[in-house]
Parts: sequence; structure tokens; C-alpha cells
Amino acid sequence: MTGAPLLRARGLGKTFGTLVALADASVEIRAGEVRSLVGANGAGKSTLIKILTGAIRPTTGEVEIGGEIVETGRPAEMLARGVACIYQHSNLAPAMSVLDNIFLGRQPTRGLGLLDRPRQRREAEALIARYEIDLDLDATVADLPTVKQKEVEIAKALSLDAKILLMDEPTAWLAHEEVANLFRTIRTLKRNGVGIVYISHILDEIFEVCDTVTVLRDGRVVADWNIADITRQQLLQKFIGERLAADAGAHARRSRSARGTGTVKLAVNHLGRKGLFEGIDFEVYAGEIFCITGLIGSKRTELVRSIFGADRFDSGTIVIDGTEVRPRNPADGIGRGVGFVPEDRHRDGLMLKMSVEQNLIMSALGDVTDWGLMRRSRIADMSRAAIADLNILPPEPHKEVAKLSGGNQQKVLIGKWLQIHPDILLLDEPTVGVDVGAKAEIYTILRKLKAEGRAILVVSSDMEEVMTIADRIMVMRSGRMVGIWDADAVTQQEIVAYVGGE
Amino acid sequence: MIRTARLPNRELIIVFVVTIAVFCWLSGSFRTTGNLENVLIGFSHTAILAVGQSLPLLLGGIDLSVGSIMALAGMAAFDAYIVLGLPGWIVLPGALVLATLAGAVNGVLIAKLKLQPFIATLATMAAYRGLTYAISGRQIWPEIATRPITDPLIVAFDDYVGHVPYAFFLLLIVFAVVQLLLGVTKFGRDLYTIGGNVEAARLCGINVDRAVIISYSISGLCAGFAALVLVSRMTTSTESLGIGIEMSAIAAAIIGGVSLQGGIGNVFGPVIGAFLLGVVLIGLNLVGIPTYAQPVLTGLILLGAVWYDRLLVQRRARAILAKQAANP
Amino acid sequence: MSKKIPAHEGTTGTRRQILGGFSLMALAAGAAATGAVGGVALTASSGPAMAAPSTKRRKMVFIQHQPHTVSTAWSEGLAEVFKVQGNIDYQLLDGQNKADVQISLMDTVINDKVAAIFLQPADSVALAPSVKKAARAGIPVITLNIDATAPHAAHIEMSHYLGAIEIAKAMGDKMGGQGKVVIINAPPGQTVRDARTNGFMEGLKRHHPGIKVIADQVADWDRKKAQDVFSTLLAANPDIGGVYGVNDSMALGAVDVAKTKGIIDKVVIFGNDGEKDALESIERGELAGTQFTDVFQQGRFAAAVATVLATGGVPATAFAEQGYLLMPYVIATKETVASIQPSQRW
Repeated sequence: MTGAPLLRARGLGKTFGTLVALADASVEIRAGEVRSLVGANGAGKSTLIKILTGAIRPTTGEVEIGGEIVETGRPAEMLARGVACIYQHSNLAPAMSVLDNIFLGRQPTRGLGLLDRPRQRREAEALIARYEIDLDLDATVADLPTVKQKEVEIAKALSLDAKILLMDEPTAWLAHEEVANLFRTIRTLKRNGVGIVYISHILDEIFEVCDTVTVLRDGRVVADWNIADITRQQLLQKFIGERLAADAGAHARRSRSARGTGTVKLAVNHLGRKGLFEGIDFEVYAGEIFCITGLIGSKRTELVRSIFGADRFDSGTIVIDGTEVRPRNPADGIGRGVGFVPEDRHRDGLMLKMSVEQNLIMSALGDVTDWGLMRRSRIADMSRAAIADLNILPPEPHKEVAKLSGGNQQKVLIGKWLQIHPDILLLDEPTVGVDVGAKAEIYTILRKLKAEGRAILVVSSDMEEVMTIADRIMVMRSGRMVGIWDADAVTQQEIVAYVGGE
Repeated sequence: MIRTARLPNRELIIVFVVTIAVFCWLSGSFRTTGNLENVLIGFSHTAILAVGQSLPLLLGGIDLSVGSIMALAGMAAFDAYIVLGLPGWIVLPGALVLATLAGAVNGVLIAKLKLQPFIATLATMAAYRGLTYAISGRQIWPEIATRPITDPLIVAFDDYVGHVPYAFFLLLIVFAVVQLLLGVTKFGRDLYTIGGNVEAARLCGINVDRAVIISYSISGLCAGFAALVLVSRMTTSTESLGIGIEMSAIAAAIIGGVSLQGGIGNVFGPVIGAFLLGVVLIGLNLVGIPTYAQPVLTGLILLGAVWYDRLLVQRRARAILAKQAANP
Repeated sequence: MSKKIPAHEGTTGTRRQILGGFSLMALAAGAAATGAVGGVALTASSGPAMAAPSTKRRKMVFIQHQPHTVSTAWSEGLAEVFKVQGNIDYQLLDGQNKADVQISLMDTVINDKVAAIFLQPADSVALAPSVKKAARAGIPVITLNIDATAPHAAHIEMSHYLGAIEIAKAMGDKMGGQGKVVIINAPPGQTVRDARTNGFMEGLKRHHPGIKVIADQVADWDRKKAQDVFSTLLAANPDIGGVYGVNDSMALGAVDVAKTKGIIDKVVIFGNDGEKDALESIERGELAGTQFTDVFQQGRFAAAVATVLATGGVPATAFAEQGYLLMPYVIATKETVASIQPSQRW
């Protein structure tokens, strides 16, 4: 299945001042191999990737491609040797066509800088035919769904004659069905002898598509296995440590409590909004975690936004604590003790340039001010308590939020909403782009909130996550509810089938 | 050919034609060949500036200094001819080279010193205006200020072929060159790439700094052409040449569909945008709308264009969502 | 055939007779009806002079340099006369202090075949091609205060040159023939600047050779800019004895500074134009003097001239020589300012 080694990195190390980001890491990538690279944030994954793309030069060690030692620290050199990277964030020009994006910055010319469009089209067509990528070359990238954009990035990398593709969390923003499409493409690439480094926090994906796995912890390679030889539990233990792994696994089933305390906190009756969703009926009880899952585009987010008051709804009713409400704006929701943690934390949730403390107190300024004046001591108390409760790392209230890892940013965002002491907390994709360790911590926080008797509503596309934390699960498809199940009474495979509409 | 270029600016052309039709109906003087001449000669230089301005805008930048570059190039031409007595065939290219260099300085400030385009060109807007006063022969010897430029080459842009002024032909050439640059060269693709996603551009090996410097140089060169058109019409130059004209150029570009966010637009739209503004100004004068109400109407047109652009973005976002929901 | 508009003769002789302006006004207004100005018959080639006012509607426009008290007063004078005529549509257009805007406005109104254009050019050279274009189209152009370097129907000003000579004499008299003087000047490129500056220099040379002009700086006709310019000049030369502001706005800017510095009694400040604020400042004993003319009247004169030309169908091409119409003026000082009637103050 796997062929000759394409790339060998030996003894790579990188120190920034006194910080050791990577120490003595060795890794080998073979033709037709999908190698998973896993590790918590800060384990050294991104440093390793940056060395392989030439973005930084290692302090020690060497990289050998095709039997030759290459000069490190030069992006152009790495590209020329066929190492390409597909980053988590899009590196496409959204307003341009697929055709132009595939050859971004390298459009074939006829001399004098004049474009050779026929040749460009010929080459692109040959490329997507060879790798069986289904793309409309004339579509504008901004008009494409996310998975197609990822495929454009893959085609772009392949047009460089890439032999080694580094993929950094390629599924972070993809829906379930889209992931399957991406995996199909990855398998085609394998057959064509491309070596792939696949970075992901989602164990399901690793076990589905990868052949080998390299586990990094604290800047060192702690394991290098064939996927076929190991279990999920082994892998988890290796990179988040024994204690957390045990917690994440066993804890899940033990703590399930469908319908919580038996008191209905939030009831939604026949809720509808023209063109988006309709006929939605469910209750969320105090002391339970209620998960809504479905494909991207199944209007889960829109539904939750209407419940919170960020958007309107046309029909049906919302009942909170037995009283019918019509939230007209977020302030209405907040006033009734509803908190909402949005999906895109960078855009909708956090002030990245402001400190942890400033973000934490943002929703609860009323509690830390007297006559409109900020009380420093109360702010400090509040942020200290939140940082300790949520285990925000590093525990520095004045650190700029942009400098925290994704997981800790997410904790700050949740912490911000906890300051208004919500009885009902709505969370939209709370762990997107968060590493496994931080995920486990966020789950622990959610369980703690549940134990305090709050009603928790989580929107998630991650089946593993849904099965781990949910007490009850609702599936949505195209703006309608498919059904609601107790988590104990349904398997992951069944839920996936409902989601897909089979 | 290019999706990004949002050809063919259909809505803008409709608005343009309707506006012309309305003024033709309202004013007898509007529907004359004389008026055609006036529109063409009165706003060709604005259109040239709008074409030049499109390049910084496509990069997600802006060039506020074009009016001051005009004054600088115009004053240099005045000095070279009136004070130094140089002939037209030296004065014209000299002024253009100076304007291009002034644009290149903008580009260097933005690319190499990493200044925000707005800040960088705001600074050079003041600096170039100051420099214009400093080099002004009119300030040093006020008595020469009332002497006109008579070199036939320099004043040639004020001539006509039939009803079409030379200045308009100059615009056509500038437009065609820049449109080709954007449409059929790798450099043009690179500009769209940088404007769409500068990080992506860097990662795929585009020389972003060079593209920025070249774009601002072209914007400067266009300001030079615009200055020569006006100098040719006035047979002199003034220190206040082009004050506030950057706003007309930017407005024309935005009305023409160039996105302030960068990465979207062509140079056909800005040319139409410039003439739309011109037609409205002239039309309002002819139908007797008071002078002071006119900037308000110009502002409303700009608001309308921005609002429409926003509408298109929203409509497209909704279409994508619908598409994703339809075939997940 | 020569159709020169006769200048008002004997300017110096009548300059202190403010009321003289009124009689001239009556003459001009009468001329509008009879088709004769100053006794010279304007026999247009198209036909004989008409006995009754024409019923044909005509359009006339005034393209001002930028909003300012002077141009506002002209426009009032123009509008006043045209309102009485009843057959002229008058429109004020603003040049926004930009030559290119004025040029475009000129193109527009020429194409609109207006009967006459009143123009206060932003630059005497820059507007010359437009003035020529108007002449080719047969439209009479009447410039106000700032002349264009191309010949046209008429230019109306109070003699800037002669007035400035008298200002120099009056200023020198007050300074006792000694001291240092600064000029706060208009931007170059406008004929009025040259006329007033040259006149002032000539006046000093002729009457007070002991006075030295130590600085000549531009403040763009603007009161605020003049304050800055004068502050800077004063810092470098604390012993300035006299200031000539080439218009009243700039002179009043210098007055503002002199008042705050407490040296208003030591500096002799003269302006030019004679706007209402300047006259009041003279009455308060701050501004030493200014060259006053009734700008309303100047507008009325311009209106009269244009009406006569348009009604008589005199094309601009018929002028062999440009007409100059000089307004009567007075050097307003504390002693003479009382003779200026309230209705003349603008």
C-alpha cells in the first residue's frame, strides 16, 4: 500500500529563546501514505509543519527529500521539491474563479507576462481528471461550499506537482457529508502516490482515513504507529495523558441524565421561520444537555439564534419557565437568563485584541459597576474566579485573548457567558478547532453546569461529541426535525443515518 | 472572460443611460453635441484618475494623494516651461515621470514600511501639496503667474477630432492598457489575488511588495496624465490644482463596482462612474438646481451605489446557503 | 465698428462723491430700457433699438470664485436688477475655488447659450481659454474684480491700482513716513493681486520712500489663514508698523491678532474692498482704513451692462477692444467712514 519514502526528517529541533518548541523529532512520509500527526496544542505540531513548509528553519536536524538533504527555512525551495500545505484557513482569492485559484500566482504565460488561458484550462482539466476531483473551473470560489473550496486548495497544491501534502485540520469547518467527499479525494490522491500528512483532533477521522500516526507531546515524538495496530483508547492516552483519557471515555455514559431534574426550562412549540425552518418542537429540562445535530445547512444555527433573540421567528411559541416569550433582540434573551455561545468565536464572540479579563466581564458589566463606574477589585475577583473555574491557561487575566490557544479562547467565551449566570445556555459548535485535551475540559465544564441544574443546549456536527455529552439528541434536516432520542437508546451509526436522511 | 471583473456592469449602464435620458428630456441644451463635447472634455481626466485609483482599490488599499500628485506634476510642467523655457517634448514626459515617482513613493511606504494605505497616502497628500507650493515659480515670481503656456504640444489635449477631444482618446488608451493589464496578464491576476487574500498571495510566491509599488506608480502616472489634460486646458497650473479630486475618483471607482475591500472590480465601471458623476453635475446646472444642492445629490448617488453593492453581497450569501441546503 | 463700453471717466475726481455712483446707476438702468449707455448708441446689426422692454426670456449666470461676502453682494446686486427687468433668468454657480470646476461650468453655460456670463475667475490665465470659447460662441463675458488674460466684453472693478496707491499714501501718513510694512496677499495668478500689490508699492515709492516692505506672504483671501500668517510674521518682526491686507478678510485677520497681542494701537492695518465688518472695525478704531466701493452697485452696473448687450443683440465678436468699467471708490478711514450710507454697506 505504501511506497518509497518521499521525505525523511531527522532529529528536528527548534527553540525560541528558552522555549523548546520541538526536540529531536523524526518523521518519515512515504508515497501513498496518509500519516496522521496528533498532539495537544503546544505539543509542537505547528512547529513541525512550519519547518516542513520552509516557514521556519530548525535549530537542529535535517530534512531529506527524494534522497537529497534540502536547505530548510526557504518556502520556495520546499514548494519546488513538492511539499505543499493546505492550511486551516482558506488561502484562496474568493472573488476569483476556480481556474485562477488553482494557478494562483503561477498562471502560465506566453512571455511578456501575457496569460496563456487555453493552456491554463488544459492543464487544470487534466489535473482534476487525473485526481478525479469534481470541480467547475468557471465557478467563483466564494460561491462554492466549504468542501469544494478545500478541493480547490488541493488541486492548487497538486498543480505544483506536489508529492507531499500537509493538511492542517481540513475538516474543521466541514459538515459530516462533506467530510466523506474529502476522504474520497484523499484516497484518490493515495492511489496516485501522493504522501499526506493529516492533522486532526477528531479520532474518528484518523481511524478512518490514516495509515500511520505520529504522536507529539511537549515537543517530542512519543509514538509512531500503524493505525491498524492500535485502539482509540491507546491513542488518546498517548497524547492527552492517562487521567484525562479515562475521564473522557468512561465518564460519558455514567453521567447521562435524560430530562435532568424533570423541570422544563425551555419549551419550543411549532417554531418556524419562513424559508429556514418550521414545525420545531422540543423541551430542554433543567440539568440536562440537549444536543441538536445535523448537516451544515440544516438550519440548526438559525433555529438557536431565533430562540436567543438574535433573529426573529414567524410562527410558534417559545416558553421559558412556563411563560411565553417573544425575544426581539439579544438583550431580551439575556434578560431572561439565556446565554448564547456563537459558533465563530473570532467573528461573533471575542474581542481578540482585548485581555482575558476584559472579555470575561463584557456581558456582566452591570455586576462590576457602581453608578456606571467600574470597580477594579470586583472585576479582578470575578476574572480570577472564572479563570480558576474554567482552568484557562495560562491563568493570566491581562493576557491578550488572541495569544491563547483555540481551546482556551473557547473557555474564555464560555466564561464570558457564565458571568450572566444563565439558567439556559445555548452553545453552537463549542469545540470547533479545539484540541482533544481542551475538548475534554470543555465537556467537563458543561457537565458541571448541568450538575448545577442549568439547561444546556448544544449544536454540534461532531458525532463523537454528541455521543459523548448528550443526554438527549435531536436531529434536524433541511429546517425540519427528524426526531428526538435518548442518548442511551441510540447508537452513533443510527444517528448518522438519521442525519444523512437514509 | 473573468468572473471577478463583474462584467458588464449592467445595472450601472442602465442607471447611466436612464440618467442621460432624463436630462435630455428635461433640458434642450443637454441633448446637443456641444454638451457631449463638454462631458467628454470636462470629465475625461476624472475618468483617467478613476482608472488609476482602481488599482490601489483592487489591492484593498486607497490612494488619497492623486490630487496632490496632479498639482505637483502640473506645477513642474509650469516651471519647466515658463521658468526654464524647456520645450513640450521634454516637459510632458518629465511631468509624467515625476508623477509616477510620486506614486512609487506611496507604494514603497505601503509595501516596505508597512504603513496603512490610508495613512501613507494621507501623509503624502499633504506632503506633495506642500512640495507644490515649494517648487511653485508663481510664488517666487508672482508676475509670471499671469503668463500662459503656449507650447502647441502641451496645449494639444484641448483640441478636438470632430466632437471628440484628444483628452478622451488619452482616456481610451489608458483604459485599454489597464484593462488589458488586469485581464490578460499574470500581473493582473496577481492584483486580484492580493486583493482577495494577501496571505494566500504571499504563500503562492507572488511578489506582493512589487505589485503594490507598481500599482501605486500607475495610479501616480494616471494623476500625471490628468494633470496634463487640465494644464493643457488652463494654459497654466495652480497650487490648488486637483484639491478634493481624489474623492471624485474614489467615488467613480466605487460607483463603478470596485470593492473597497479589494479583489473585486474592473476599470470599465469606474470610467462610466466618472462620466455618470459628470453628467449629473452638468445636468443639474442646466436644469437650474442650486449649486449648493449638488454635492448632496452626488453623495446620494454614492450611497446608492454602496447600498446596491451591499445588496448584491447579501443576495449572493443567501444563494450560497440555499445551494448548500439543497444539495448537502 | 468700435463698441467699447466707456469707462466711468474722472475716477479720481469723483472718488469721494459716493452718491455719484447712484447717478451713474440711474444712467445705466435707463440705458437698459433705451439701448444706450453713456450716450453712445449701441446699434446692433440685428435691428433698431426697441422702445419697450423685450419679452424674450434670457438666461444669465454668475460663476463665482468661491463663497465670499464680495461675491454674495455682487450676486444680490445682479439679482436685484434682473428681478426688476422681469425677463431674465439669473443663476449663481459656485467655482469651489477650483479653476477646473469653473472651466467645466463655463463649458456648460456656453453650451446652454446663456445671454451673458459674469465671471470672477479663480485664475486669470486658467480661465482665459474658456473666455475665448465664450467669445467664439458670441456670448459676452463680464469679469468682476479679477480679470481674465483673454479679451472679453467688459471688466468691472474699482481701480485696484489707483486705490492701492492711495492706501499706501494714507498708511504712510499715519505711520509718519517711517517703519516696516508687511503685505498679506492673495494667491498668485489673479490680476487683482498684481494690481493691488503694484499699486501699493508704487504708492510707497511715490509718497513714502522711507517705509520698507519687509514681507509679502500669501493667505488665500482667508481671515483664518491671515491670522496664522500675521502671527508668524509678528514673531519674527515685533516692530512691524503697518499691514496691508489685500482684502478686508485678511486685514481683519491681522486685526484679530493685533488685538489679542495688545498692539492694535501700534500697528496701522489697511484692508481692501470695504465690507461691512471692515467698516465697523474702522468705526471702532481698530482697522485703520480700506478702499471702499459699493459692491451692490458694482453688481447692478454689471447687470445693466449685460442687459443692454443682450437686449441689443450685441455679439461678443463685435468688440474690438475690451471694456473697462471702473467703480467710484473712497478710501474709508475713521474720518470718512461716516459718509458711507447704510444702504451701501454690504
